[in-house]
Amino acid sequence: MKKVIVVLVLFIISQSIKSQELFVVTDPASNVPTGSLSIRLGQSVFKEKFEEGYNYHFMPEVTWGMNKNLMFRASVFVSNRNTELVTEGASFYSKYRIYSTDDLNSHFRLAAFGRYSFNNADIHQEQIEIVGHNTGFEAGIVATKLIKKVAVSSSISFEKALDNKPNYLFPSTQGDNATNYTLSFGKLMYPKKYTNYKQTNINLMVEFVGQTINENGKSYLDAVPAVQFIIQSQARIDIAYRHELYSSMLRSAPNGVYLNLEYTFFNVSK
Amino acid sequence: MKTLNIKFLMIVLLALISSTRSYSQISKAEIRATGLTCSMCSNAINKQLKKMTEVDSVATDLNTNTFVVYLKKENALSPMVFKESVEKAGFFVGSLEVTMASGQLKSNPNYILVDSKEIVPNEEVVVRILDKGYMTEKEHKKLLKAYSKTATFALGNEEDFHIKVVN
Repeated sequence: MKKVIVVLVLFIISQSIKSQELFVVTDPASNVPTGSLSIRLGQSVFKEKFEEGYNYHFMPEVTWGMNKNLMFRASVFVSNRNTELVTEGASFYSKYRIYSTDDLNSHFRLAAFGRYSFNNADIHQEQIEIVGHNTGFEAGIVATKLIKKVAVSSSISFEKALDNKPNYLFPSTQGDNATNYTLSFGKLMYPKKYTNYKQTNINLMVEFVGQTINENGKSYLDAVPAVQFIIQSQARIDIAYRHELYSSMLRSAPNGVYLNLEYTFFNVSK
Repeated sequence: MKTLNIKFLMIVLLALISSTRSYSQISKAEIRATGLTCSMCSNAINKQLKKMTEVDSVATDLNTNTFVVYLKKENALSPMVFKESVEKAGFFVGSLEVTMASGQLKSNPNYILVDSKEIVPNEEVVVRILDKGYMTEKEHKKLLKAYSKTATFALGNEEDFHIKVVN
């Protein structure tokens, strides 16, 4: 698997065809259009490691571009961890574009982001994940660069878990804060030449997502290859597979698939 | 009868003065946007342009990210609105060329010609905007040196448009 991913990354870097940065599990430094409102229905199914079965997460999301530099996102977390579908929490995310420089064939953007989430589910792993599992906050920066039409995006952030109130305190034996790092590559596969907005675009991506618990150095690193369809330049379907490459921490369900459906309404507000 | 004529004349004069004070009427704008990689990004610009009531239609070349915007008659749009539209979508202008009547161009002090090419009267003229934000940063830096004799160029006043005749 590792070899396959290395080959895939080299393949993407070596190609010089227009790429994409609408990543699946990370967010690029570029912002959503001013006044646009997009609705995403995110779903994921992950295989339980220590027990039979799968856990299903449903995450509806609304994203709004307030102006060219600032966007907001609200998400709701629903999961079947307790056998039936239960709304466990929600999240608020914001991103501000700090710096942007564009040239005809390249761009570089830098953005700062922050997220606050709450969740009432039980805490069942050492991994800190405020998207769907832990109550907590995250703050970080992301840089996205287009070099010869290949987009590369990387982020680093600080994440801290709090108690999953009211019933589940964060275990005192576990480190409650972590450093997260991501590296993403994307490439447009189809069409080779555009003719109109109705054409379906197909993108291939691979993302690397890692975390180190600051207190004890326990870490993981995942690879997320994905295929993405952009329909009528307005809707998006992402299919991705998340695979653990390395881990020294307890994770209850590291491997699984994502299916995201997203639709953008342009010019909803001024 | 005489007083009526004078009144009429004054109204006509007032109308003329007020019309020359507004922006010269742009009939067409050709925008090349930079920094985008996908048709959804391009569509964001397309939708920003189309939402303006003054816009008649937009033709797009997705491969070069060029938008040709056809405007309705009697509009009073400034070149600035095209820059704002592209930036609102999250991108930047790589070049902007506007088509307008030569007479209107000459009568508007906000348009400053930086090259010596003569404008033919009573014809449509295509001019390129050379100010900051209307081209890549690299290109603008070069122009700052080239047009160092034009005092207003380096000032970067948003209301002034330094222009070069394209054809």
